[in-house]
Amino acid sequence: MAELLSVSHLNSWYGRGKDRRQVLRDVSLTLEAGETLGIVGESGSGKSTLARCILGLERDIQGTIQVNTPHPQMVFQDPYGSLNPAKTVAWILEEPLRAAGLRDRGARQAKVREMLHLIGLEEEHLSRRPAQLSGGQRQRVAIGAALIQGSKLVILDEPVSALDVTLQAQILQLLADLRTELGLSCILISHDLTVVYQLCRRVAVMRSGVIVEQGDADDIYDRPQHPYTRELLAACLSE
Amino acid sequence: MRRHNWYLRLGCLLTAVMVMFSLVGCFWTPYDPSALSSTDRYAAPSLTHLFGCDSLGRDIFSRVMQGAGTTLSIAFAVLLLGGTAGLVIGALCGYVGGAADALVMRLCDAVAAFPSILLALVVLAVTGPGKRNVILALGVLFIPSFARLVRGEFLRQRELDYVKAARLAGVRELRIVFVHILPNTLPVLLSGVTIGFNNAVLAEASMSYLGIGVTPQDPSLGYMLSEAQGFLMRAPWYTGALAGTVILLVLGAGLIGEGIRARMGDGT
Repeated sequence: MAELLSVSHLNSWYGRGKDRRQVLRDVSLTLEAGETLGIVGESGSGKSTLARCILGLERDIQGTIQVNTPHPQMVFQDPYGSLNPAKTVAWILEEPLRAAGLRDRGARQAKVREMLHLIGLEEEHLSRRPAQLSGGQRQRVAIGAALIQGSKLVILDEPVSALDVTLQAQILQLLADLRTELGLSCILISHDLTVVYQLCRRVAVMRSGVIVEQGDADDIYDRPQHPYTRELLAACLSE
Repeated sequence: MRRHNWYLRLGCLLTAVMVMFSLVGCFWTPYDPSALSSTDRYAAPSLTHLFGCDSLGRDIFSRVMQGAGTTLSIAFAVLLLGGTAGLVIGALCGYVGGAADALVMRLCDAVAAFPSILLALVVLAVTGPGKRNVILALGVLFIPSFARLVRGEFLRQRELDYVKAARLAGVRELRIVFVHILPNTLPVLLSGVTIGFNNAVLAEASMSYLGIGVTPQDPSLGYMLSEAQGFLMRAPWYTGALAGTVILLVLGAGLIGEGIRARMGDGT
């Protein structure tokens, strides 16, 4: 299969002058079409920075990033901040289509209804604002808005961390369904190994801006090579 | 059940009454505000002349209505000018940031470093009095405070994920600023507008009182106040009626602002 994304020898920095410090060191990874790659690591390990680099939101970088698909999208961690509080669900879902230049209002609304069905919401939710939705419903809307332009690559940055456990399972199931239905390739970023394991066949473990271990999920979970991975696994099992 | 927001209700009611009073004053008054009458000089308040008459026998109630209309229309024009320009400048500065933002904000600092009324006095001393000059001078001087308020809000909002999501979706920058972010800054803007309104009313009143504001053709409350103080002892009701009107105007807008802030604090 074709490579959808390849990152090689990526370095990235924050700050300027004296305060400039490196957040990513020599990161290389690839993602094939239809694949879901999990990136795990504790907060501050550079996971989200990597995502921002892939999306072209970081300036101070070195190395190559090749994205072979238009408009990669992102689902953010906090569904309270990622939806515009002043707008209705219908508007939020329709806006990416307007931005993409789809002029025909009827066509836009048809797509919105189609996506609404895919993300498991009802017509009645269209006229609601984010404040009138539950956390799980909000994350569904955020996922719908990210996917409605037809992007094939989506980066999920801690998509369920802000939700309680039962909702986590529902949203992960939704993501798994959408992945097959729409033929998505995903990068799932999480600090939670169990979440990653449910969705990903391949996992990269990050620590302090470096990928310390990368490979098949089962291998990593059964026979972790790096001490940090063992630490993460132990922490996650003891919970 | 949400707590009743009495500040907001009372403020809206009071402002509505005052605006009605002033609006009617622009078109109709019980007596001609400039009609002289030698028999009614210094007439005390009565049923025929609610607030009495002044030194020339003019009906004070009619004059207050007319003056309130002038003051209010100046305040609204100042808000419209200063608010719109401040909004656009502040929104762009806050969203774009960087060197352009720093430059514009230092300019605003420079203007804001002078007491605005003092600066307006200087401007009017140069351009000469008149309704239009008052509006222009105050309007321009009000830009920095609005710009700063709006900029702060945009600075906060632009870091939120919904803005990043919009950018990722390829929404044009100007659309992000005015369609995505602007509605979310409305509560703060509205409370800023009420403060701006009060400042405009008071600034106009002070300037006209000092005699460099409006011309006698369109007398405002401040202009009349400078007339009234000449016979404060013989007709205290004139000064009282004017002062009361200014206070009620300012109080109404102040209550609305307080109510909006209280409602924001509730997080509704």
